[in-house]
Amino acid sequence: MAESEEEVDVLVQRVVKDINNAFKRNPNIDEIGLISCPEARYNRSPIVLVENKLGVESWCVKFLLPYVHNKLLLYRQRKQWLDREALVDITCTLLLLNPDFTTAWNVRKELLQCGVLNPEKDLYLGKLALSKHPKSPETWIHRRWVLQWLQKECSPSGQELKDQAEPRGDAVGRRPCERLQRALQEEMRVCADAAGRYPSNYNAWSHRIWVLQNMAKDNLKVLHDELSSTRLWVSMHVSDHSGFHYRQHLLKALARELSQVGEMELHPTQQPNGESTAGASDDNHHNDVIPQLFHEEMELCTDLIESYPGHETLWCHRRHVFYLWHQWRREHLQEAGSQSPPLTHIDVLLSEEPCDEASASQAMDVDCVLDGSKHGSYTQDTKRLKRGPRLPHPGLPSEHTFVSRILTGCRSPEQSCFAIAYRKWLDSVIGQ
Amino acid sequence: MEEASPPLRCFSESHSSELFSDDGVQTVTSREQRKVERSIQEVYSVYQQIHTSPHVCQFLARCQSPTGGFGGGPCQHAHLAPTYAAVNALCILGTEEAYEVISREKLLDFLYSVKQPDGSFVMHVGGEVDVRSAYCAASVASLTNIITPTLFDGTHNWILSCQNWEGGLGGVPGLEAHGGYTFCGTAALVILGKEHMLDLKTLLRWVTSRQMRFEGGFQGRCNKLVDGCYSFWQAGLLPLLHRAFFKEGDSTLSVSSWMFERKALQEYILLCCQNPGGGLLDKPGKSRDFYHTCYCLSGLSIAQHFGNKDLHNELILGRDENRLVPTHPVYNICPEKVAQAIEHFHRLPVPVQTGPTPSAMDQS
Repeated sequence: MAESEEEVDVLVQRVVKDINNAFKRNPNIDEIGLISCPEARYNRSPIVLVENKLGVESWCVKFLLPYVHNKLLLYRQRKQWLDREALVDITCTLLLLNPDFTTAWNVRKELLQCGVLNPEKDLYLGKLALSKHPKSPETWIHRRWVLQWLQKECSPSGQELKDQAEPRGDAVGRRPCERLQRALQEEMRVCADAAGRYPSNYNAWSHRIWVLQNMAKDNLKVLHDELSSTRLWVSMHVSDHSGFHYRQHLLKALARELSQVGEMELHPTQQPNGESTAGASDDNHHNDVIPQLFHEEMELCTDLIESYPGHETLWCHRRHVFYLWHQWRREHLQEAGSQSPPLTHIDVLLSEEPCDEASASQAMDVDCVLDGSKHGSYTQDTKRLKRGPRLPHPGLPSEHTFVSRILTGCRSPEQSCFAIAYRKWLDSVIGQ
Repeated sequence: MEEASPPLRCFSESHSSELFSDDGVQTVTSREQRKVERSIQEVYSVYQQIHTSPHVCQFLARCQSPTGGFGGGPCQHAHLAPTYAAVNALCILGTEEAYEVISREKLLDFLYSVKQPDGSFVMHVGGEVDVRSAYCAASVASLTNIITPTLFDGTHNWILSCQNWEGGLGGVPGLEAHGGYTFCGTAALVILGKEHMLDLKTLLRWVTSRQMRFEGGFQGRCNKLVDGCYSFWQAGLLPLLHRAFFKEGDSTLSVSSWMFERKALQEYILLCCQNPGGGLLDKPGKSRDFYHTCYCLSGLSIAQHFGNKDLHNELILGRDENRLVPTHPVYNICPEKVAQAIEHFHRLPVPVQTGPTPSAMDQS
């Protein structure tokens, strides 16, 4: 049924007001969605609020969207004035319907800059938009702008300037660190939600990495927390390559940061990432933690591969973790001093050792014993490593054992395929 | 360009005289009739515009920004993606008029305005960096001959840092390997002559693993679903890699085929990616769109044609009518159009940069 322009105008204004009122009535709205409803029924508003969910009946979109879109463009072209309140409402309506409309996000950037809009409110709108469009690239891009802006606002120099101009009395002003902390936690939640709404959500996980690098600045505690909090998530999303890639990123970052800590422990000073040294008490602290991390990750991988046969992501993850571990071990052993034998010698030792769990402690010895004949008398290296947890370090032989174990009694053709491909990769890439 | 079929009735002068004109008494029907005619008039006028070469040139000229580069539509800010598309479209037209639409000096200014100190490019002023931008910039700059000694400083190193352990490239350094980004990074490096600096072997291993065993088409990333558009982004990497290995003197290279299952890809595209009403798509059940139409066809062409002018091997699945013309593996327009454009623009001198330098741009 055709609507006249006046009717559309009235309808749209009502809808925009209804959306605004819905948010006022319920500040805890956590999800928006489109209700499939091709025809308007009676004279009812298309805006439906049930508990914390906001719905928009689909019949109104074809009127609503072009109208508000046009209105915003006219404002932008300086052909029609809109006051700040109207801009907030209109951009909100627009972005809930189409979050990839960059111009609308840019209007909100301006509103943020002149203090009309609160950044947390804007981030909240983005979170709602993502509940319906979890990949929306422009939403994630805008989010990063807001977070960067927020960081500048909360920085010491930013705060000083503000305090000079206008002494702040509110709690928000007094604790910028808390504000950023909360923002950081919230970002991780938003990323996790979006990742759950769309498989292998590249943009959500990329954003999460950005947050680690730019907000958390690769802080060790955050890296550790992320590793534990995503463990359950990836276990329930065993085909999500992006989720596992994130864990690979965490491991790499942890290995890098912990190695730096290890180096700094030789010179006891405060670490830039917030870790203070414990003196030179255990100068191989990082020697234990990093292998432990890799071991746990390999265990998780093994567990998932055995529980969920035939998922390529799990095998890909195993390759990556093993490769990282293999690289780290090579670098670390080379750094262990001039007593270290050349790498090839160690590889030969590894390929000869028995490779089941029972010989774990022996594996430890062989890993670091420089000369087989000295087995009885311990070198400084072996003593150090013996103090650590008695874990079977992943190695080529143990990996081959793993593959054989999977192949025996394997009933999934995909699983066999992946296992064989993994073995081939071990031989051609690692074993060269 | 050859003459189109007989002119359409709707474009004749006398057609507009058929428009409904009422006698002043408005009824529901007469109002509806007028509305319908108005919308149909709009359809005809748009059709007319997009189907005439001078009109395409004129439209694209309106999309060009006064400060250089092209936006998505008239009066929009310049952006590297529509800039890439506009330059390619104009090169496909290949007329003097088309070439002259591009303001080369301004285009160079635009590229400098989005160039970053670390060698990367943002997609538009105030926008974000990802590896697509390097490809768009390299493509338009090389076709129009505006590459200055400093334009791509650091770019190849930045692109290389996008290659990750898997062998593919991510959008920015540290991200997951992804088909679209991998093509853009690799093709950009080919244009810059630096493709040999990639770890070609792991890249080859990664991309060949992306062809799906059952479907025949390609996935964009490990453990994801097949998608028709990756027929170009992923399969299109094999010609680039083939050439790179060839330049390194690899003697084990095939002289008859790219290193992927060409028949299987053609089957997937022809059987699963066509809309019965025309146009192509992602996978069965999805709707058609121009993006998938373009990239499914491009991928089909890649699968059908191996080699170059001197050594050519065709593998056409199905009837001869399925044969498409070859496409250039870097620019994805016809090789003749690439050659013609490069020849035209190389007769012109490289412009001098007139806009502000990258370091002077405020990046906040």
